[in-house]
Amino acid sequence: MFSTGFKYFFGVTVLSVVALIMSYALFEKFALGGVAISFLIAVGALLAGLLAFSSDGTTRDANTSTSDLTTQSIWPLVSAIGVVFLALGLVTSSVVFFGGVVVLLAALSEWMVQAWSERASTDSTHNAAARKRLLNPIEFPVLAAVGLGVVIFSFSRIMLTVNKSTGAILFIVAGALVLVAGVIFAIKPNMKRPVGAAICVLGALGIVAGGVASAVSGEREELVEAAAEGHFSHAECGPEESKYYDKLSEGTLSLRSSVSATVVYQDGELIARIQGLAKPQKSLTVGRSIPTNIIFRNATEGEFRLVAHLGGSKSADKAADGDSHKDETCTQLVAPGAEQSLTLNIAKPSSVENVYYLYIAGSDEKKIELVVP
Amino acid sequence: MSRRQFDIRLSATIASVRVVLRKASKFAGAAGISAVVAGCATNAPQDTWQPKGPNSKLIDDLQQPVFAVAGIIGLIVAVAVVYTMIKYRDRGQPIPEQTHGKPALEITLTIIPALILAVVSVFTFGAIFKLAKTDDTEMIINVTGQQWWWEYDYPVQNEFGITQPIISSGQLVMPVGTKVLLRETSRDVIHSYWIPALNGKRDAVPGRIHTLRLEADEPGIYAGQCTEFCGLSHANMRMEAVALSKEDFAKWVANQQAPYVAPAKDTLAKQGEEVFLNQCVRCHQVNGLTRADGTPAIAAPDENVWSGAAPNLSHLMSRNTFAGAMFNLLSKQCRDEVWNAPSDVVGAKYLAGVTEECLNQKDLRAWLRNAPEVKPMYANPADLAVSNGKYRGMPYLALSEDDINKLVAYLITLK
Ligand code: HEC
Ligand SMILES: [Cu+2]
Repeated sequence: MFSTGFKYFFGVTVLSVVALIMSYALFEKFALGGVAISFLIAVGALLAGLLAFSSDGTTRDANTSTSDLTTQSIWPLVSAIGVVFLALGLVTSSVVFFGGVVVLLAALSEWMVQAWSERASTDSTHNAAARKRLLNPIEFPVLAAVGLGVVIFSFSRIMLTVNKSTGAILFIVAGALVLVAGVIFAIKPNMKRPVGAAICVLGALGIVAGGVASAVSGEREELVEAAAEGHFSHAECGPEESKYYDKLSEGTLSLRSSVSATVVYQDGELIARIQGLAKPQKSLTVGRSIPTNIIFRNATEGEFRLVAHLGGSKSADKAADGDSHKDETCTQLVAPGAEQSLTLNIAKPSSVENVYYLYIAGSDEKKIELVVP
Repeated sequence: MSRRQFDIRLSATIASVRVVLRKASKFAGAAGISAVVAGCATNAPQDTWQPKGPNSKLIDDLQQPVFAVAGIIGLIVAVAVVYTMIKYRDRGQPIPEQTHGKPALEITLTIIPALILAVVSVFTFGAIFKLAKTDDTEMIINVTGQQWWWEYDYPVQNEFGITQPIISSGQLVMPVGTKVLLRETSRDVIHSYWIPALNGKRDAVPGRIHTLRLEADEPGIYAGQCTEFCGLSHANMRMEAVALSKEDFAKWVANQQAPYVAPAKDTLAKQGEEVFLNQCVRCHQVNGLTRADGTPAIAAPDENVWSGAAPNLSHLMSRNTFAGAMFNLLSKQCRDEVWNAPSDVVGAKYLAGVTEECLNQKDLRAWLRNAPEVKPMYANPADLAVSNGKYRGMPYLALSEDDINKLVAYLITLK
């Protein structure tokens, strides 16, 4: 009746009840932890009941001796490594800590299943089969995912290091190699397994080695430069074309389903269309602190840019100190007939002193007022 | 233990687990029945079976027949299962000869449900497209969800007398017989807007705008509830749609656009305004409120609240509820009078707003005394690291009872 497993879960249940009572007494209300402990009580009680009912699943039987032949196990070693990572993680970084947690959990579960399977019956082949049946469906996908992850990550390092055209060539070569390997496997289905495995391992090792080398030598010049200078983040909102900001303007996405308004520049007029309002608008309401997407459609023959004036210096100040800093954001230069989105997030309400509006770069009069209530 | 013994023990264990599960299922059955019985409430303002507008009627017209068909089929299946279970239960008789497959029967049993589903889907798609229409809109209202209240803003629409944006919270006021299009979004997490009497649900998703048609046939107040789990006070994120006749709606619009009237000098309310400027303006906007030096008092919820917004209190007392419609601004009796008023007078009663006698002093004071205690919110100043030092909800402000008296006197003037 009072089997080991039952005693364990019974203990867990009783301790959880005590913990629940104490937490209630100390904090005088059920916090989230109280809910968790309640679940623990329920689960512990259920398991204790089941184990009492089934006498621990009766895998151990007093009448039969289990085989004492234990196989060698690497799991104690692995769990020790996990513990070391755990401790190391406490003083270094949380990544190491969580790595330790993962290693420890994996090792402990492997160890537990192994220990259980070795005593499952006196038939050791049956035991080994039981272990495999239980663990292989987990081990194989996890190992495959980790292995693929390492290969893919290494490949991405290589692509960040080599220059753009080499990258394209490498991609083609890698694809071709996969194809060749596939063809070889297909026409020689009787090939010995070690040969196939060797081909795959060699390929993977090559990529990983390349990845390590690339990671050591760092990313290619342009990327380093772009990251340092933030070419893609600072918008140059003048009417002329900007060297960096207007690059690849045809490649930007417009967001169809999240559009607050479509602003159209047509026949020298700037108007706004809002879903649900039939008439074109000359002003737009933009809620405070809400990311608001606006689509700019250029329905003229020339290239234009839509600029959002977001407060900042008043026009009077601007005249006073020349080209003082203006708080503005803008689209890229948009080709005739093309469109682009602009996202605004305005925190302060509009007022006489603080005006917001959209305009076409180079022609200050074509305005749409932004009303921020 | 031999392998065979082991296998026998294993199946014995499985059998005992089954016994336990069977017992547990009885409890589940009992719990299910009590849940069904609990569904028969009489006072159920959020009942989906009582449509009060064309959009919800469209849904209702679809769900009634589908529910009937599904019910009949469910009944047939249940009866057949029970009959077979009893008729062929194990009485120790020999296992009959086993056959496999009966193509004619199987094909029939596949085609019939497929046909039923095809018919249902034709009508379902029809309803979905009708509910997604936006080109017949007569009025738009922007609806923004945030933890844990709804903000409404009415863009300028001269046909309705809205010449400057109106901004409100908790209660959505709309004209009856008008095709209103809500344009929903969110400032923080996903919420979902649902007034069961007027239409189905629509999620409010940050960075996206989702539209929801709303139209009420009769003046009245229709209750709703946020239906997308959104954190601690999700259950307290409620809302109401108040449908007013067109004339009453025009009056409401006029009042919302009325300029700010500062309390008279040397009154308790004037002192309350001062407390408000010191304590509340950093989050709450009152349009037209100025500081002592005459500069406009501009709220900065973006610096203090995680969502970047706090309710605009300019016309607080024109609403009947506060804090995500969790509390009533009207005392129970006055509130019941508005709720139970016949549809021809409900508008007038609603427009009366909150008078001195009707103010629900108890809940409003409790809110000002310690908001997070009456509505769970992440507002512990020691725990704001995750939200960059910003509150989710209204914090405890350690106001004295004296200040609370002044504030209540002031807030009641915000008609
Ligand atoms: C740190 C920001 C902050 C400060 C300061 C603050 N509030 Fe609030 N207040 C909020 C937020 C956020 C809500 C919405 C809470 C909810 O409903 O979940 C709110 C809600 C309210 C409501 C309900 C409004 C409605 O329409 O639902 C009232 C009334 C209110 N506050 C009054 C005050 C007063 C009076 C003060 C000054 C003593 C004050 N608040 C100070 C953030 C603040
Ligand atoms: Cu919500």
